Amino acid sequence: MSKKGIAAAFVAAALTLAACGSSGSPAPSAGGGSPEARTLTLWHYEGKTSAMGVAWADAIKKFEASHPNVTVKFEEKGFEQIQKTAGMVLGSDQAPDIMEYNKGNATAGLLSKQGLLTDLSEEAAKRGWDKLLSPSLQTTARYDERGVMGSGKWFGVPNYAEYVMVYYNKDAFAKQGIEVPATYEEFTAAMDKFVKAGVTPVSTGGAEYPAQQIMYQLALSKAQRPWVDAYQLYKGKVDFHGPELTYGATAFADWVKKGYVAKDSAGLKAEDMIVGFISGKFPVLVSGSWLYGRFGSDVKKFKWGTFLWPGNQMSAGSSGNLWVVPEKSKNKDLAYDFIDITMSKDIQNELGNAGGVPVAADPAAITDEKNKELIENFNKLSAQDGLAFYPDWPAPGYYDVLVSGVQELINGSKAPDKVLDDLAQPYNDNLADIGN
Amino acid sequence: MTSLSLRREEARRARRARGHVTGPGPGRWAVLAALVVLAVVMLLPFAIVTLNALKSPAEYSSNGPLSLPRGFYLDGLVEFWNRVDFGRKLLNSFVISASVAVLAVVLSVLNAYALGVGRVRGRLWILVVFLMANTLPQEALAYPLYYLSKATGLYDTRLAVIIIFTVVQSAFGTYLLSAVLGEFPREIIEAAAMDGAGRWRVLWRIVVPISRPTLSVMMIFFFIWTWNEFFLPLIFLISNDNQTVPVSLGVLQGDKMMDATLSSASALLGIVPAVAFFLIFQRTLTRGVTVGAVK
Repeated sequence: MSKKGIAAAFVAAALTLAACGSSGSPAPSAGGGSPEARTLTLWHYEGKTSAMGVAWADAIKKFEASHPNVTVKFEEKGFEQIQKTAGMVLGSDQAPDIMEYNKGNATAGLLSKQGLLTDLSEEAAKRGWDKLLSPSLQTTARYDERGVMGSGKWFGVPNYAEYVMVYYNKDAFAKQGIEVPATYEEFTAAMDKFVKAGVTPVSTGGAEYPAQQIMYQLALSKAQRPWVDAYQLYKGKVDFHGPELTYGATAFADWVKKGYVAKDSAGLKAEDMIVGFISGKFPVLVSGSWLYGRFGSDVKKFKWGTFLWPGNQMSAGSSGNLWVVPEKSKNKDLAYDFIDITMSKDIQNELGNAGGVPVAADPAAITDEKNKELIENFNKLSAQDGLAFYPDWPAPGYYDVLVSGVQELINGSKAPDKVLDDLAQPYNDNLADIGN
Repeated sequence: MTSLSLRREEARRARRARGHVTGPGPGRWAVLAALVVLAVVMLLPFAIVTLNALKSPAEYSSNGPLSLPRGFYLDGLVEFWNRVDFGRKLLNSFVISASVAVLAVVLSVLNAYALGVGRVRGRLWILVVFLMANTLPQEALAYPLYYLSKATGLYDTRLAVIIIFTVVQSAFGTYLLSAVLGEFPREIIEAAAMDGAGRWRVLWRIVVPISRPTLSVMMIFFFIWTWNEFFLPLIFLISNDNQTVPVSLGVLQGDKMMDATLSSASALLGIVPAVAFFLIFQRTLTRGVTVGAVK
């Protein structure tokens, strides 16, 4: 008896809910009320309290103030959902009017090749976005007809930047009497001192992006722009046994041998690396500006600071993610207006003050001391044309190739030149695929 | 009726008593120890999730994931609830899972009646096809279903997900139930037919009531499975207003960011409904399982 009751209640509840659900689902572009009322559907996946989340929330307010007849329908998305479904969504009528999307050949490049993104070249020239962004930031905004970044039409506009730097524990450095290193030799000398004192200096993780970025930084110490262009943009041949990568791999193996990085870090993830630094166990961490805000709020036990990788002209880094306008966007003009607002000095300054790296801020308007350091270092890097992107960009699936290569270096299970052979194979396969 | 159930109760007690006669030997202790270890292994992740859900982010970062929280930090739970409008996600998940559970069971019963009791020709091959459909990875289905749903105007509606999972779950349900109904005592059906019951009547008056324990178990499983589905809802429920609970948990996973405390808080919120559902229906569940076992 009771079972029947439960089942009946189930059926009734489910069916009524389903019925009201399907009829009550709102149309994506609401048009009710006065005929002029419009809605701008906007998607992004930055956390609410992150620098971008804060600045963009303000940009939405400003946009609504300057466009009184427009409501912004903002939806916070998950990174993974956008990654997995962007191609499908943008091919359907459910496409948003403007959204944040990942930069790079495999993401924005691919969608642009499929004709799912609007060409923004004209707007970029008209509204002066091309003047606001430095050449290495523009690299990720422009894609050619193969979907390869670096040249061709504008398909996205980056609002912020990111770069890899060295975070250090000021208290631990003071305790060992170590100054902020200005050269690579001073840097290694500092780490030697820590090792002698029984401290493993560098927190890293081989199972995710951190360790490969250290190897890339080491390779970049021997590299200039032409090599980066060859490696990342396929302009010229990359010799995996050339001086740059050979040095990167052997020097990294050396770091392991000398005890700069822990032998057990091959299996660690980025989160382990972060917690290792915040808990004060490791005094040095090499990673990107995306951790700046987290350290600002979570590091309580010691003072910390940052410096650019000593002695490098180039450093891993790039523009942040892009604003893209889907080809099926129904309000392209509004989308352009919104991008323009996010590029304005006000919003850019706010992004900087909230702990992000703005692309077009007024350095004088950044009031927070800590954020000033972050932005000044970036401006220095940007001025010397030093953004070298990330090691895993050139080929699809290359991230995993690098992870396993670097893990082998940490474990000492393969010699550096054998690892370089492993890295060369998929890279060259990809070159053949795209017809280079 | 009461005397009958009393007698049954007695029989059960007697069986239990007989089991006790052997007494706790060393083998039983070993089994108990193994079960305790297993229980700890199973419950440990939940404990860690709960532990971290109640920590502030700074506390987590400086003391690591295994430290005990200092006091109850509920902001994470509240923040997550408001950030993703969790009440709405719960409703969506419930609508979808409940509809699928009911519809898939109905569909399975109809299919299995034809295949198991009706014994249509080539039923083995039909079952093989059903089983294959069931083993197909969902990734392979994503694009065809995407085009179909776009063509029918169902993309980004909960109805699309309900239809898809009704079919997916009933494929398994048909397979399982056909085997059960294949063993259905034919005498009962023949007797009913003799009394003048048509096929329709036999199905609803004889077959369904007798196999009801199996059906309720299936319904509960379908509900929980659908509740936990991630991939297809992720693809088909684009608007935040239509999303389900597991999809909404993905909001917290950034590119290079992971907010461990907030993720734990959300995971806790995600688990609670399924656990609550299980506790409500666990009697039905175990009863269904034991009935099947005794048969």
